[in-house]
Amino acid sequence: MEGNLTESAKSGFESRALWIRVRHWLRLSPEPFSLREENLFLLLAVIIGLFSGLLVVCFRIAIDWTRIRLLGSALIPTPARVLTMPVLGGLVVAVLVMRFFPRVRGSGVNQTKAAVYIYDGVIPFSTVVGKFITCALAIGSGHSLGPEDPSLQIGAGVASALGRRLRLSRDKLRLIAPVGAAAGLAAAFNAPISAVLFVIEEVIGRWSAGVLGAIVLSAISSVVVVRGFLGGELLFRIPVFRLVHAWELIAYAVLGIVGAIGSLAFIKIIDRVRPRLQEMPRWTFYVQPAAAGLLIGVIGLRLPQVMGAGYEVIDQAMHDRYVWQMLAVLAAFKIVATSLSFASGTPGGMFAPTLFIGAMVGGAVGGVEHHFLPGLTGSVGAYALVGMGTLFAGFLRVPMTSVFMVLEVSGNYSIIVPVMVSNTIAYLISLRFQPTSLFDLLSRQDGTDLPSMEEQREESLLRVEDAMHEPTEPLLHSEETVADALSRVQSSAPDAIFLVSFRDGEWSAITKAELERQASYDKGDAFLRDIVNGRLPRLHPDQPLYVALRKMGEYPLLPVVHRANFQRLEGVLSLQDILGAYRAAFKASGRDSDAVLLPAELSPKSDEIGGEAPRGL
Amino acid sequence: MLVASFALLGVLFAFTGFVTQRYHATQRALAQRWYIRGEADLQSGQPEKAIEDLETALVYVPGNNVYRLRLAEALEAAQRLDEAQAYLLSLWSDEPSNGEVNLDLGRLAARAGSIPEALRYYHNAIYGIWSDNPEQASRNARLELCQALFARKDTRDAEAELIALAGDLPEDADLHVRVGNMFLAASDFDRALRQFQRALALSPRLEAALFGAGQACFELARYEAARPYLERALRWNRGNTQAARLLETTSLILEIDPFSGRLSAEERSSRVVRAYEQAMDRLESCAQSRGDQLETTSPQTPLEKAYAQALELRPKMRESILRRDPDLTTAALDAVVEAEKVSAVACGAPTGLDHAILLAAQRHGGGEPD
Repeated sequence: MEGNLTESAKSGFESRALWIRVRHWLRLSPEPFSLREENLFLLLAVIIGLFSGLLVVCFRIAIDWTRIRLLGSALIPTPARVLTMPVLGGLVVAVLVMRFFPRVRGSGVNQTKAAVYIYDGVIPFSTVVGKFITCALAIGSGHSLGPEDPSLQIGAGVASALGRRLRLSRDKLRLIAPVGAAAGLAAAFNAPISAVLFVIEEVIGRWSAGVLGAIVLSAISSVVVVRGFLGGELLFRIPVFRLVHAWELIAYAVLGIVGAIGSLAFIKIIDRVRPRLQEMPRWTFYVQPAAAGLLIGVIGLRLPQVMGAGYEVIDQAMHDRYVWQMLAVLAAFKIVATSLSFASGTPGGMFAPTLFIGAMVGGAVGGVEHHFLPGLTGSVGAYALVGMGTLFAGFLRVPMTSVFMVLEVSGNYSIIVPVMVSNTIAYLISLRFQPTSLFDLLSRQDGTDLPSMEEQREESLLRVEDAMHEPTEPLLHSEETVADALSRVQSSAPDAIFLVSFRDGEWSAITKAELERQASYDKGDAFLRDIVNGRLPRLHPDQPLYVALRKMGEYPLLPVVHRANFQRLEGVLSLQDILGAYRAAFKASGRDSDAVLLPAELSPKSDEIGGEAPRGL
Repeated sequence: MLVASFALLGVLFAFTGFVTQRYHATQRALAQRWYIRGEADLQSGQPEKAIEDLETALVYVPGNNVYRLRLAEALEAAQRLDEAQAYLLSLWSDEPSNGEVNLDLGRLAARAGSIPEALRYYHNAIYGIWSDNPEQASRNARLELCQALFARKDTRDAEAELIALAGDLPEDADLHVRVGNMFLAASDFDRALRQFQRALALSPRLEAALFGAGQACFELARYEAARPYLERALRWNRGNTQAARLLETTSLILEIDPFSGRLSAEERSSRVVRAYEQAMDRLESCAQSRGDQLETTSPQTPLEKAYAQALELRPKMRESILRRDPDLTTAALDAVVEAEKVSAVACGAPTGLDHAILLAAQRHGGGEPD
């Protein structure tokens, strides 16, 4: 008995000891699961991706469910539904927007940018809820808008909410919105690379190691979730494509030109219509979406394809479903319908309509070209596919994303050359005739001055070679004696500064006064290497001028040396040289001094993503 | 807070899982409903409506290859061949060895007259993967390829396919008859006869096989064998006018052929004289119909020359003389064949006994077309 008790006691004791050890291990530090903010940020990126993926899955289901309920399950809804549902949907959406979710109007991309650059990364969670409900209703009722832009903002909103809950620092909170945006967009497109590129191209504007890893992680997580729940199908079933003859690239170049014209028309319409509708009395905001819905319904009676996001119509166009005349008509009326929907303040995105219009324009151009050149081997479907990228490049002006988006949604690498040709042409023409990109235009219409990523990309960068000058004083060498050096600089001014080169490619500097002082201490025979202290930072001619400015510090001048031979002096640079170069560039451009004089990195509130300081609102 | 986030994530996962499950079930049900409607429209010969229905079905289950294939077939039925081809090519890129997809692509290529492409797709179909009854599907694909080749008058390729097909046919009399008829169309009468005989071994009273065998024997100039087949075919189907005509010609050949086995000298001479008289009548009626004069001192036209040649033999065209001089029989038959051939050129294809005379001559190496 005693033995049994002892055994039992021993066993109990061991269990308790184990439990104590576990508790002790768990309490080794005051916060057992605390993480450094950088690591937490990466973990958070994955969590954001998961949340965004799940919400986007629900969002897509909500859109489909709404469409079936409002427009019916048939591909072509009945005329009664076509006429009434966009109007009713517009009315309800307008009330929701005006009364409950005023922030959901407009572009989700710009709202995310505003969160980053104006509101310290804050996107109210009500915006997420509002976007979800109003966009599902608008798109589901047949308004010509897409789910990608709202998905992007849903992702950004979730990220912002999580970041605030976890009390991230302001810097990290600003970074978190783009991370969520990438996750939302990746989930919507089922295309992580395009989403990452888009966020880099349009939201944060540059590759930054600090944020890139988080963006990639969140995009991948969200795509994994979407694929898990909705399947890994590509967005479109792509026709077989093979570029047989190089001369056929000319045909795709023509598509680039036509695509650019279509993009310009689309931007110009939005540029004209949206401000006019925004200027109308406030009460009209309640009926504008309904009025837009009525017009879309009228168009939809003959062309029901223009209603909604239109992915199935894109798919049909890629499978030669329509003749080129019909494709051209669909492109034209989709531009009208989307402009009406968007300009009326109905929440929703422009990505899907852009893809739609691009596919139609591409198919139409392909059809015409096939008519006149029956020897072309690319199918009309292939032109439709390339057209999607072309409009992306010309209208949304995201050249990198436009190329990768086509590759990613098609899963066909052989299409890359035609896509690059067509997209580049469309982008350049659009840039030439519409200097302000769509997102910048919308931002200015909304009264904000968000940093223009395109302008930053197109900015001519000032470099060291633009500011440096030839050395005016003799160069000294570290192996020279003080006396020798002094004898060589006799004719120089008393306050002159001389660069001293070392054998190992390092540089230093010494003043004439210092040389004279050393000589007076009877150190005329001493070598300069033993006299001069410290080393100067080196510059190279191709380095951006703002790098030189950063290195300049308190130094009066810096050596500019050859990259392959550090002892070879190409020039010298002083603070006056740098300021002079910026002034000259400012005078030459006649543009906003911010962009030219002070690059983004050096703006008063610089941060990792290179944004401008919050201002205005 | 992190723990709370994970908990919320778990809840959201569960909720999304539930919603997605319901969503997929609804999508599948809607897709199935529209697919059934599309099938019905397709069956009732309304391909345009079927296309709309099937496209709707595909909105709900975009990756369903069965729906996509049926849509392609509906497009094909509606003569929207480019669209059908685009869909099929996209399906083909997913499943390059799918027999059904390759067969449809082969059909389209054949319709477009692109024979090398059609051959490629048909062969892919023949050796491809079929979900149901692969042997039969593969055989049907080859039969269809043969038909497509015949339609393009490419009998050489068709015959090659038929030979491959014939080597692996199941015991099915109708199928043997079908293949036999194709061999007939390819002028491969030996193989055709073998197929009909295999069919008759399985179903001795099959009229199509009897008629086919009769035709094959006739084409092989085996008139003695052809007659019983044709007679039996007519016995089962008296309305077969083709068989009746063939039997009539066969009987005439067997009645007029002077070189048939086991003929007495009297009978042979009698047949030569009869053939000679028939040929002279044919020459004269032909000349009369053309308004030509055959009796001339210097024959110029082929008709006149043939008539002059035959006329020289007239005094010797008696059975008693022919019996004594076998060389005269040969010379007489040469003149007969020449007269029939010339008449055929001048006045059109021979009929009845004239046709029988030519066929009998061809059987023994004479009267071959020049």
